[in-house]
Amino acid sequence: MAVSTIYSTQALNSTHFLTSSSSSKQVFLYRRQPQTNRRFNTLITCAQETIVIGLAADSGCGKSTFMRRLTSVFGGAAKPPKGGNPDSNTLISDTTTVICLDDYHSLDRYGRKEQKVTALDPRANDFDLMYEQVKALKNGVAVEKPIYNHVTGLLDPPELIQPPKILVIEGLHPMFDERVRDLLDFSIYLDISNEVKFAWKIQRDMAERGHSLESIKASIEARKPDFDAFIDPQKQYADAVIEVLPTTLIPDDNEGKVLRVRLIMKEGVKYFSPVYLFDEGSTISWIPCGRKLTCSYPGIKFNYEPDSYFDHEVSVLEMDGQFDRLDELIYVESHLSNLSTKFYGEVTQQMLKHADFPGSNNGTGLFQTIVGLKIRDLYEQLIANKATARAEAKA
Amino acid sequence: MMSATATVMRGRVLLPSHRENRLISTGSEILRLRETVPKRFRLMMVTTATAKYKGTKMREEKLSEMIEEKVKEATEVCEAEERLEECRVAWDEVEEVSQARADLRIKLKLLNHDPLESFCQENPETDECRIYED
Repeated sequence: MAVSTIYSTQALNSTHFLTSSSSSKQVFLYRRQPQTNRRFNTLITCAQETIVIGLAADSGCGKSTFMRRLTSVFGGAAKPPKGGNPDSNTLISDTTTVICLDDYHSLDRYGRKEQKVTALDPRANDFDLMYEQVKALKNGVAVEKPIYNHVTGLLDPPELIQPPKILVIEGLHPMFDERVRDLLDFSIYLDISNEVKFAWKIQRDMAERGHSLESIKASIEARKPDFDAFIDPQKQYADAVIEVLPTTLIPDDNEGKVLRVRLIMKEGVKYFSPVYLFDEGSTISWIPCGRKLTCSYPGIKFNYEPDSYFDHEVSVLEMDGQFDRLDELIYVESHLSNLSTKFYGEVTQQMLKHADFPGSNNGTGLFQTIVGLKIRDLYEQLIANKATARAEAKA
Repeated sequence: MMSATATVMRGRVLLPSHRENRLISTGSEILRLRETVPKRFRLMMVTTATAKYKGTKMREEKLSEMIEEKVKEATEVCEAEERLEECRVAWDEVEEVSQARADLRIKLKLLNHDPLESFCQENPETDECRIYED
């Protein structure tokens, strides 16, 4: 989706060929003259707009199913850079590049041990470099980004990152630094409640021989002070917060299998129109299971309401329970509005595409997919807007 | 293309265990579940992938060892009350390595992708890129 301005009226035919310089936005068109060796240059300048999305999550990088759903909405699968460092945290697809903010650690594991700071502490991260490089990529300039190796705990030699159409910065501190925050076109905070975090970490770690229930608990408790001081406050800046809580449908459920997920959407964000249920701005409570739709235990419950979040006006869409069948999903989709889908059933199709990913049967997968569609919508609007602005400037 | 009458689907939407709200998390559980699913659906199930290259297998083992070591270390360090900061750093390390281990497991199991894949295409002769035989 590049917008190009052509500065010559030379016709393109077989006597012309294209070259492009790797890091600039310019494409040079050469025409070979059969009799002489003179070459006529035609300059085509393609302005590629890069949008920057920030995702704050405490779940490490590289596995994030959120990222995979997001890149899938844009088309193509995100893969690590070919031929480079196998421990790279970066993911690249045709349109999207996902950068892990751990790469901007100023202290490696040994440095942090020595200085007695956790990875959550801003003192362990180089925000100046983060700002410089995100700014450069946004302006269409490639950067040599360091690599933090999670296996060795060391900082590896840098890798070259080309400016993509969509740049996603994922990690613990995307919205911590004010300058970086101003570069973000959209930001998301994944807010997992303590009970759910505990349940997920048990599932994640119990198979490891080093871990026990006590060690998992101790690890969460020990990280909590730094987390509450440095990471949690970022949620006030996010345009969308996905809150994951234990379900209210099953009394005393502590397995974290059935979830209550809330999508908190900030009002008044440019190019972002919140999803709503039935009547925008009203308060709705909806249980789709009934005569037209049969659900299995524990069923599905939706809530929608306007609210206030850190002194901002927000709209909150909430789903409690889980999908058991395809027709439940399509039924729910058909009743939601402002989804920014391009065709009926797109949300369901995206969910089915990744049916084996965690969260595919509950609000986490649903809202991640919806946020992905919203970002696509934002991108397209931004591009269209810049194109008309450029056209008007020429006129 | 989405089919509204599709009954054959991959993943948790179809598997019988889903009704018990069980989360499938280990390879052996997937294998056990295969027996309960009618033969015609089995091809659709996601099977566990294990490491393809020696280098990946080595990383898996190294990370598992590190988890064990670091949990022990953190437990020891935290016994002394005056070493609060070191205690936090020690558990943060445990978290980091646990997450790295889980990431690798997910890449192999869910995405069926060995992280050394593209590196080994370019450098098949290195020791890390020997095919791992169980």
